[in-house]
Amino acid sequence: MPTVYNWQIRRELDYPYEHERPKKQFAMVMDLNKCIACQTCTIACKTTWTPGRGQEYMLWNNVETKPYGFYPLGWDVKLLDLLGDSQKWVDATYEGPTLFDVAPEGDTLGKWMPDEYDWAFPNVGEDEVSEPVDVGTVMETLPHLAWMFYLPRICNHCTYPACVAACPRKAIYKRPEDGIVLIDPERCEGYQECVAACPYKKSIFNAVARISQKCIGCFPKVEAGYQPQCVTTCIGRIRLQGFISPPDQVRPDNPIDFLVHVKKVALPLYPQTGLEPNVYYIPPIHVPRSFLRQMFGPGVDHALRTYERMRRGEEPELQGLLHLFGSTERISHSFRVVDGEVIGFDEHGREIVRVPLVEPYQERPHEDPALEVVRQDIP
Amino acid sequence: MASRTLALALAAVFAGSSALAQEALKAAYRADGLPLDPRADVWQEVPSMTVTLEGQTVTEPMVMEASITEVQVQALTDGRDIAFRLVWQDTTEDRFQVVGRFSDAVAVMVPYRPSDEVPITMGAPGDRVLILHWAAFRQENLDNGYADVTKLHPNAVYDWYPHAKKPYRYPEDWRNQYALAYIGGEKLFRKNTLNTPVREVVAEGFGTSTWKDVQRAEGKGVYADGSWQVVIRRRFVEENTSNPDWGPGKRTFFTVAVWDGSAGDRGGRKTLGYAWIPLEVEAAP
Ligand code: SF4
Ligand code: SF4
Repeated sequence: MPTVYNWQIRRELDYPYEHERPKKQFAMVMDLNKCIACQTCTIACKTTWTPGRGQEYMLWNNVETKPYGFYPLGWDVKLLDLLGDSQKWVDATYEGPTLFDVAPEGDTLGKWMPDEYDWAFPNVGEDEVSEPVDVGTVMETLPHLAWMFYLPRICNHCTYPACVAACPRKAIYKRPEDGIVLIDPERCEGYQECVAACPYKKSIFNAVARISQKCIGCFPKVEAGYQPQCVTTCIGRIRLQGFISPPDQVRPDNPIDFLVHVKKVALPLYPQTGLEPNVYYIPPIHVPRSFLRQMFGPGVDHALRTYERMRRGEEPELQGLLHLFGSTERISHSFRVVDGEVIGFDEHGREIVRVPLVEPYQERPHEDPALEVVRQDIP
Repeated sequence: MASRTLALALAAVFAGSSALAQEALKAAYRADGLPLDPRADVWQEVPSMTVTLEGQTVTEPMVMEASITEVQVQALTDGRDIAFRLVWQDTTEDRFQVVGRFSDAVAVMVPYRPSDEVPITMGAPGDRVLILHWAAFRQENLDNGYADVTKLHPNAVYDWYPHAKKPYRYPEDWRNQYALAYIGGEKLFRKNTLNTPVREVVAEGFGTSTWKDVQRAEGKGVYADGSWQVVIRRRFVEENTSNPDWGPGKRTFFTVAVWDGSAGDRGGRKTLGYAWIPLEVEAAP
């Protein structure tokens, strides 16, 4: 098997196919401090791509409540189980087993197959099970005494996809032009090897069409220079889609590179799978570190320090860039923060959006002597 | 991973193994038609051969422990068609291919070139094989109506399907071009609504199997008393498509694969006969 290099875990691994990095790699950053679980992204995706028969419980984009929400049931617990007890990081290098290392005899990688009903309860009772707090409790310190957070998930369009590795019919492919991973519906025979293989459980079987289907990265939009539906509809403006460079070709003015490689504030989800997933998360600051390290690896401490510096106003460029989130439907290939504005540019360096870091505002005095009234907190 | 080297080594072994004197299956001539029904009396008079099956352990994913270990095979010809009858014991009847559950199936493989040197690992580039694949889930569609949501989950509630009218008569409603798009388009529609439980596939090595443009093979499977009985019938020469070099008075080879849905078998996870078996087709007297 060819050997490939995974920069997220800083080590080589065996992958069934020769690998050449795509010309561009689809990537997304999500700021988990801002998601409010409104599910607008889920519905935008659903109405765009999966309103058909056999797709009733198919969510290419889902938002689950951590730690007790899952879609499908227990996906991350099963993943951690599969990788076993020795998921060890030495500094930034992962020395534990990847999915390829835990392959049983006769298979390419460690898998588990969800049951039909594991998919059947998205977002049911997920918040309610979180720990209650006593009346009068004040949470002023981080991490919070009681905590939960929302985790939006799409297909990670992995650099070394488990779904591609697992498909015996070679029906799944990674596009060389943008790294988007697609299932060819004509070659798929519904063997569901990808469903069992994808540790993020983002390949889902359609029992009516009898093929597996998955997030297509809104490729028709991306091809035209627009961000996917889940990004452009996001109410919390937590998302930014773009393209990530490998670490030896980082462009600091590329928004995704800046967040992931330069500031290292956005981290991959369960990088220990070995797949090099390309959705990157800014970890939520109120959650205990041990939980976050388990999810996002050892980069969590640095990411949170940087994020908190930003909150104190010490990272103006980062703060500026976060204003680009949700400010344009177009894909920003580069950005600049100047004079209180963040500017996004397209592939050809043409300006596509300019956002003020502080919205213009007017201050009016509390008391209005002319009308002899006291203003309440109204705009 | 060692599997590729292993595959090569095994391929070499299997190419050699068929050189052992192997009893041939005779497709006896019968003038008045080849019954599609596996329970037809005619089949009682046709000699049968036992083919021993082993788990597929050449390429991943594999079957390390075969749950079906033998299948009885018979064959008949009327000079134009050939019919195989395959009978095997399977304690679980799996007629659906749904989330995490798989269908029982059986396939007969014949090389295009009538030689036992064609790699039994589904051929090789330039060395094509024909695979006639019967599946219980397709039989179920034909016998009891398409396995749609309402059939799989009679109590399912769903408010609205775009571009489909009530009652949603799928698969017929897939002919609506909008609805078609919602299940992945024309080809998928065709694959899912074949009027036969047998699909015709060609392959030139593992992972290359592809549906033929022309799908005319027929079949019928019946499950009774813990056994599947399946008949697969095809013309030797179908028009407007490629065909193996076989026919009345000729000798070629075949082998069989069986899938046990309950054991998680699908695709490469199958049990198969690892040696080509000579197939002698009787000519009309
Ligand atoms: S997240 Fe899963 S489905 Fe998506 S590319 Fe990775 S392995 Fe494939
Ligand atoms: S639309 Fe945005 S804020 Fe709302 S659930 Fe989705 S990611 Fe979270």
